[in-house]
Amino acid sequence: MEPLESVPVGTPDQTSPSAAPAAARVAIIDSDSGFVRVLVKRVGAVGWQSHVLSSAPPVEEVQALRQHAVVIDPAMLGPEAWTYLGRLCAASPSQAVVVCTGPTSVAQRVRGLRLGVDDWVTKPCHPEEVLARVEAALRARQIAAAGSEEAEPTVAGELEIRPEMFEAFVGGRPLGLTRREFELLQLLASSAARVIPRERIYERVWGYHMAHGDRSVDVFVRKLRRKLEAASPGWQYVHTHFGVGYRFDAQETADAGEEPPAGSASLPPA
Amino acid sequence: MARLSLVPKDREFFRLFDEAGTNILRAAQLLDQLMKSWPEAGGLGRDILICEQEGDRITHDIIHRLNSTSVTPIDREDIFALASGLDDIVDFTEEAADFMGLYNIEAPMEQALQLTRVLEDSCRNIAQALERLRGFQDLNHYLVEVNRLENEGDRITREALASLFSGGIDPMVVIRWKDIFDRLEHAIDATEKVANILEGIVVKHT
Repeated sequence: MEPLESVPVGTPDQTSPSAAPAAARVAIIDSDSGFVRVLVKRVGAVGWQSHVLSSAPPVEEVQALRQHAVVIDPAMLGPEAWTYLGRLCAASPSQAVVVCTGPTSVAQRVRGLRLGVDDWVTKPCHPEEVLARVEAALRARQIAAAGSEEAEPTVAGELEIRPEMFEAFVGGRPLGLTRREFELLQLLASSAARVIPRERIYERVWGYHMAHGDRSVDVFVRKLRRKLEAASPGWQYVHTHFGVGYRFDAQETADAGEEPPAGSASLPPA
Repeated sequence: MARLSLVPKDREFFRLFDEAGTNILRAAQLLDQLMKSWPEAGGLGRDILICEQEGDRITHDIIHRLNSTSVTPIDREDIFALASGLDDIVDFTEEAADFMGLYNIEAPMEQALQLTRVLEDSCRNIAQALERLRGFQDLNHYLVEVNRLENEGDRITREALASLFSGGIDPMVVIRWKDIFDRLEHAIDATEKVANILEGIVVKHT
């Protein structure tokens, strides 16, 4: 095999991956402050956002941050490392997990990868390599997601939700949803007529815990309803459960026509 | 027993303080409406700005009159402190409204709605007390109520800040709302300062 051509690390070609997300969010869970500092700098240089955690928070908190990828050094977790890694990988299948830790055995690396870790980098390593491996993991997930059923449109009442376009349509006409309104609609519609508490909605759509008293979810449900009512006046989609949260269920209102539009498939009433 | 004075005193000050009372109440009512219907009612911020400018005009008129009047119905330093205090209320009210737009707030917080209600109630009590300033009588009930409302405002602000720093909250939400809660608390504190000034005036004249 011919030796590979030597290329300087950090050239523009390497830091501008065409297939990776334009503005990915990466959580870095590592107590090695020197390494974290240079990695954060590299992540920022490609226009991504980093969220540094010097100690490992509960997996639910990492999930609530809604990052595209997590770079973690499990050595800081001690004997809980394998349990934590397993739970982290299982908690959010859409999130890439790259381990970056000190020298390990083949058996340890194999165990980690079989738990669901996307890649394993051994320290000491160049931050550029870590970044490139995160990019590769994100590319692989994008390709997988493109063919998955997540991209399939959801039809309810007169409404068609198209995740690949970040938009919902009624009779082929777009509702003009903002990103947040779309994510809210998609979350509610994907929960199959279950009531979702406000706090849960906030964590999933905003990516943080909801401060007590924050009315953001209510305001965005109001905005979403207004657009839905304007586009599809004979239907009610988002139902309020006072003191709890919201539920998605396409129901014809009393004054609407009796015949649903051809080809529509509404969810059964609760 | 009210003291008799042989020197004619300028009653125009009382009319200007009535005007200032009406103005702070209007600003607080507008802020409450703005908070209740945010983000749709963002345009109310302009009306609150007009109140703030009106407050400046009234303060200027009072100070101008103070400088051109030899005998005043209230001590000069009290007139000056009262005018400044009333101006502070409307200034902080306007700042809170301004921050809602400046910080691109997506939705109100429940505690902010509670604080704007407290501010409105407090301003109503101040306005009613000012209407009674001419006779220096029957103000006490309103001033006690302003003090009670200020304590209520402190409690709500403390709870609001505790909820912001409970962990896992978006840091941008913390930064934005901490500033807004701060301004709302300052506005409510300013009503208490005005109540204290009024109390001092009443004591001097009874």
